[in-house]
Amino acid sequence: MTSGTPPGTSGAQAPMTPVCDDVRTRRLLGDPAVGDDAHVATCGACASATAALGHVRAAFAADRPPGPPPSLAPRVLAAARPLLAARRRHAARRALVAAVAVALLPLPLIVFVDVWVLQMIYGALTRFFPATLSFYLVVNYAAVLALLGALTYGAIPLLAERQARGRYEALHG
Amino acid sequence: MASDEELIAAVAAGEDEALAVLYGRWERPLHAFLTRYTGGRDVDDLVQETWLRIVRAAGRFDPARRFSTWLFQIALNLARDWRRRPPAEPVDPEDTHIMAAPDASGRVDAGIDAARLLAALPEAQRAVVILRHFHDLGEDDVAAILDIPRGTVKSRLHHAMARLVTLATDAAPTRRRGL
Repeated sequence: MTSGTPPGTSGAQAPMTPVCDDVRTRRLLGDPAVGDDAHVATCGACASATAALGHVRAAFAADRPPGPPPSLAPRVLAAARPLLAARRRHAARRALVAAVAVALLPLPLIVFVDVWVLQMIYGALTRFFPATLSFYLVVNYAAVLALLGALTYGAIPLLAERQARGRYEALHG
Repeated sequence: MASDEELIAAVAAGEDEALAVLYGRWERPLHAFLTRYTGGRDVDDLVQETWLRIVRAAGRFDPARRFSTWLFQIALNLARDWRRRPPAEPVDPEDTHIMAAPDASGRVDAGIDAARLLAALPEAQRAVVILRHFHDLGEDDVAAILDIPRGTVKSRLHHAMARLVTLATDAAPTRRRGL
């Protein structure tokens, strides 16, 4: 590190350099670098500012702003409660929409496969039974499949809520 | 223990407990920052408004950022805009009585009043000094909070330093008289 001014220069008149700025800043922040003391010893401007810098540093170190009043935390948390409730509703809606969207993605394929299977079953049954009876059996089977599908999709909100609760418990232990 | 970033994600999901924990962690630093920055004006209201904004914007928090940077940025913007009243203007060094007031025993404290020193700085320099010195934030963090280049942080700090040294030097004769 180089000296800002020639040794012996009068402090009051000595010009400052960018080095002086850095040295003073580090000294105020209490983070002096190697060579700062040597710079101050040879720089009139920095030497003359040492006492003032010390006073500023002492003032900053002694500064103890008043802490928050005890009533502030309950006040802030109470004011935030309606916003948090709105966020909860929003988050629940988003989770539900996401879950339903994901669940709906394979639905066309499921319906297509089910219809194909039902056609196969109907075709096989009509070889052995009258058409009316075969149709009755296939409709019964289709009704069971539809009921299972409805139950599965009806459980999505419950699963989404359980997943949200699981995330909460994982976060809070 | 959950990190600030995990907690703010929980706040985004509307969890009261997460906000309470986060608030407890940052109540004192935020209050101290706003007290120093505004000179103690409307600090409680500013703290409350800061947290309400945090809750409202929690869903938009970028997890790649540090929560503290975001918090101070919101608080600083609010303090600037609060009721459209600018923070106290810098005090003319000629008019500044940097000496602390006499205490109960009538003795004058030999130290310089940090609040008055900070009040004597222009707003832009004051913010840099408070964040850098009192909150021990790095130049990159301060630059992110103030949305300015790192070089500007350095130059503001240097200008603030020069002003503080001048103020402390000017106060020296007064201090001697006080003693």
